[in-house]
Amino acid sequence: MTVTTEVRTAARVVDAVKVYGGGDTAVRALGGVSITFPAGRFTAIMGPSGSGKSTLMHCAAGLDTLSAGAAYIGDTELGSLDDRRLTLLRRDRVGFVFQAFNLVPTLTVRENITLPLDLAGREGDQEWVEALIDVVGLRDRLHHRPSELSGGQQQRVAVARAFAGQPDVVFADEPTGNLDSRSGGEVLGLLGRTVRHTSRTVVMVTHDPVAAAHADEVVFLADGRLVDRMTAPTAERVLDRMKAFDAGTSAASEVPS
Amino acid sequence: MNAAVRLSASSLRAHKRRFAGTFLAVFLGVAFLAGTLVMGDTLRASFDSMFGRAASGTDAVVRSADAITTPGESEGVRAPVPADLVDAIERVPGVAAAAPDIQGAGQLVGADGDPIGGKGPPTLAGNWIRDPELNAYRLAEGRAPARSGEVVIDRGTAERGGLHLGDTTTLRTPDPVKVTVVGLATFGGEDGMAQVTFTGMTRADAEKYLTARPGEASTIKVRAAPGVGQQQLVDRLTPVLPKGVEAITGQESAEENTEMISSQFLTVFTLFLLVFSGVALLVATFSIHNTFAIVVAQRTRENALLRALGASRRQVTASTLVEATAVAVTASLAGLAGGIGIAAGLQALFPAIGFPFPEGDLVVSALSLLLPLAVGTVVCLGSALLPAVRAGRTAPMAALRETAVDTSAASRVRAVTGLGLGALALGLTIGGVLVTPSLWLAGVGAVLALAAFVVLGPVASTTAVRVLGGPLDRLRGVTGGLARRNALRSPRRTAATASALMIGVAVVALFTVFAASLKATMDQTVSRSFAGDVAVSTPSFGAGGSGLSPRLAGAVARLPEVDTAVGLGRGVAEVDGKGRALTVTDPLALERTFDLGDVRGSFAGLGTDGIAVTRSEADKQGLRTGDRTRLTFTDGQTKSFTVRAVYGRSELAGDYVITRAAWAPHRTQDSDTLLAVSFKDGVSTDTGKAAVEKVAEHYGSPEVQTRDEYAQSSAAGIDMMLTLVYALLALAVLIALLGIANTLTLAIHERTRELGLLRAVGQTRSQLRAMVRWEAILVAAFGTVGGLGLGAFLGWVLVKASDGASDSTFAFAMPPAQLAIVALVGIAAGALAGLRPAGRAARLDVLRAIATE
Repeated sequence: MTVTTEVRTAARVVDAVKVYGGGDTAVRALGGVSITFPAGRFTAIMGPSGSGKSTLMHCAAGLDTLSAGAAYIGDTELGSLDDRRLTLLRRDRVGFVFQAFNLVPTLTVRENITLPLDLAGREGDQEWVEALIDVVGLRDRLHHRPSELSGGQQQRVAVARAFAGQPDVVFADEPTGNLDSRSGGEVLGLLGRTVRHTSRTVVMVTHDPVAAAHADEVVFLADGRLVDRMTAPTAERVLDRMKAFDAGTSAASEVPS
Repeated sequence: MNAAVRLSASSLRAHKRRFAGTFLAVFLGVAFLAGTLVMGDTLRASFDSMFGRAASGTDAVVRSADAITTPGESEGVRAPVPADLVDAIERVPGVAAAAPDIQGAGQLVGADGDPIGGKGPPTLAGNWIRDPELNAYRLAEGRAPARSGEVVIDRGTAERGGLHLGDTTTLRTPDPVKVTVVGLATFGGEDGMAQVTFTGMTRADAEKYLTARPGEASTIKVRAAPGVGQQQLVDRLTPVLPKGVEAITGQESAEENTEMISSQFLTVFTLFLLVFSGVALLVATFSIHNTFAIVVAQRTRENALLRALGASRRQVTASTLVEATAVAVTASLAGLAGGIGIAAGLQALFPAIGFPFPEGDLVVSALSLLLPLAVGTVVCLGSALLPAVRAGRTAPMAALRETAVDTSAASRVRAVTGLGLGALALGLTIGGVLVTPSLWLAGVGAVLALAAFVVLGPVASTTAVRVLGGPLDRLRGVTGGLARRNALRSPRRTAATASALMIGVAVVALFTVFAASLKATMDQTVSRSFAGDVAVSTPSFGAGGSGLSPRLAGAVARLPEVDTAVGLGRGVAEVDGKGRALTVTDPLALERTFDLGDVRGSFAGLGTDGIAVTRSEADKQGLRTGDRTRLTFTDGQTKSFTVRAVYGRSELAGDYVITRAAWAPHRTQDSDTLLAVSFKDGVSTDTGKAAVEKVAEHYGSPEVQTRDEYAQSSAAGIDMMLTLVYALLALAVLIALLGIANTLTLAIHERTRELGLLRAVGQTRSQLRAMVRWEAILVAAFGTVGGLGLGAFLGWVLVKASDGASDSTFAFAMPPAQLAIVALVGIAAGALAGLRPAGRAARLDVLRAIATE
């Protein structure tokens, strides 16, 4: 199943297969997924526990390698890159927001934000960085250490860090999983605003229908396959769709891995 | 099984790697200690049996009763006995045979033209005793010397000098004697008596070249008839001996010889090695303590859970201690085995590199088993005690806290204690150095200074790492910055890791500074008191070498280029009942060639009953010019001398000077230790030196050196010692580096997620490796800089305190080039220590690192 709705794609996977282990104990996490993440859009990946949504994100972002199929960032095929090139690609063209432990504890807020730029030895676009700092509202915290910030503030720093290098695509893995609903809402609002105001691309893995509702489009995964997509989602519609997957499990109570 | 034991057993199994560093530290320290003890015992036993075998045929030794021992020498000088005493002795019932034993110094020249030996052990020459039972040496090849110029030499010396049967060479007695090797001998079943060289000549030759007067012998060896015991023989001999001559049993004589080797060489050697194994173990203590401290900190949540589940404090503490005990005992046992292996290996290695240590079974005494085992266990357990107690104090609530890493900064108590210790140390050392010179006071101050450094380490580490790492941010960008901040994370841990290296480097720096100061002292001595142009000497130190022919001075003095040539001979006598070394020379020439400082009186009229004394000795004895003092010589004669001159500087000239004429009646084998030559005006050093060298060729080619060369060669022995010290300290430094590597490995383990994050957002593997390496370098740099500072300070204290506490002047010298090399080596070693942890960190799988709890 291939969906082509945009001219420009930020990232895509084609017939992605990921198998963990081997022999009798082999686990098929992705069973041939093809999906395109259009540039300038906020896409949410949803699915019940074990559906392969985190694996999909890790493979699409170049953190993990596929067993079969291909993953692209822009026009670059990730399978042909060695570890060093993959690292450089992540550094220069991809941004990350993880569920927790996003910041280096020894660096200040500003240093954490510019970390990918510093690692690359690039100056980056200073105006852009300054604008980001204002958008995430952390100008008065720039010289603090992560341990002096609240969870929500830490995730906002992570969002700023992810966008600092003006990457092709930002991958967010359950970015609000550890936050209360108010802080979570702020972080999600931030992601959405950044996409809409600056034409950035965000791919977010989440199990929370409320979080997914901030996206432009939601794709649903189940048992390692793409099963549905939904544009202009609302929390109620997403929740209903999730409930329909499996009678026994409620996606909302899924424990993040 | 007890719960605590079961817990620690499972923990040990799970974290084998964490204790690898601890294991190695204990292992190396214990192996060093055990190896030293076993080797010392083995050598002692081997020498015992060798001397026993060599002297087995000698039942009694007749010799002069009185020995004059000068300070700093363990062996006294005895007067010779009349050789014709042999006739009287042989008439004593129960005597089977007696032979005079003439012994002197004689250095052989090898096939390559270089003298053999002379670098420590004695170079002996004597008469070849015909009676094989009385001769300590056994003829192994060839025959005994029959004609003048024929000699037997020991096989070890022959091998070292490339000499074979039938070869002709030169023996310096110190006058060069042309000799032909006709026989090769063994000593006590070995090729030689360690590094001692021996040349056996005919009795006539020995009397001619080795004694001052014919008809003298050093001792007379006596063999008893069957059925006559050693003591019985001595009792029968005693009545026939003249006054001042005694007889001792062969066994006593052998024991004296062994004792001499043991006390002079083995004890010093073993003690020396023990000191360095002590340094290694001290360094190990820091590494081990640090490992346990980190492991306990990392296990806070686990221990807290145990406490929450109902484990008592004692159970948690005990489980950590059981772990430490297990590591201590296994590592100590392995170290013990390793040490015995080292001793066995050295025993096999020494002969292979031409160091004929006597063979014999390895002697492993109970002490050399128990001491290393006990020390290893105590060091390991002692180091783990504090962390174990801390583990027990873990609050159950800590299980719920997010992080479990010790980031505590230095406490105020620590800073105050450290500063107090430092102030006390400074006060004591300043007091011991400048106010009332005392090595004791300065020593206590030095130990306190070390303690202050260790206590203040965590306080200083933050500032030090910030300063040392300052350039990193600029030079290495974010990688360097991250490395610096990682090193700053836990000041206490950084300091403890660096402390181990600091102690190692401090000892290295201390020796470097001390050696440089000794060299500067020698240099100063020569340049201050040696006013001549060239010095002639034989390259030797210790008991070796044969000295210079006393006739060389006269021959050199006759050269047209030479203004003055003065030879310095050495004599001994008791001055006011105390053994003293005398300088035997031409006093007037001495005054011209040496700067003797402020001279009161005159060197002109010393004659046969005048003596010149240094001011310090004169003050001690209460002597002034014109006073009389009594000298007792080795031959038992006492003569009254008048103090004719008191002079200021003693460094090269010695404390007492008498004329050759005054010494002649009491002399033994004649030789000069140094010949100082000054040229006439207008003679260049090169021309003069060439002329002197030409003359010296006829006297066994001793070394002719300019003033600078002479000063340098005087210091050559210091460099050799320093090299040995460096080699021994390498182990301590190695242990310290293992500590750094271990700490980093543990730190990487607890930073797994952070490393994963860095990799995810684009840190390349090489950047990650560089980050870990730079952290290692920073910690090493902190330790090295601290060690250099401490070592240089202690070196200064040692030199200044020695200077103040003794009569001789010590110059203090700071060798910047060597210290810079030490610093570079320390830092480079840090980079090396970071290599493995960096490699491990770089191999981390990004996804797994992110997922790690």
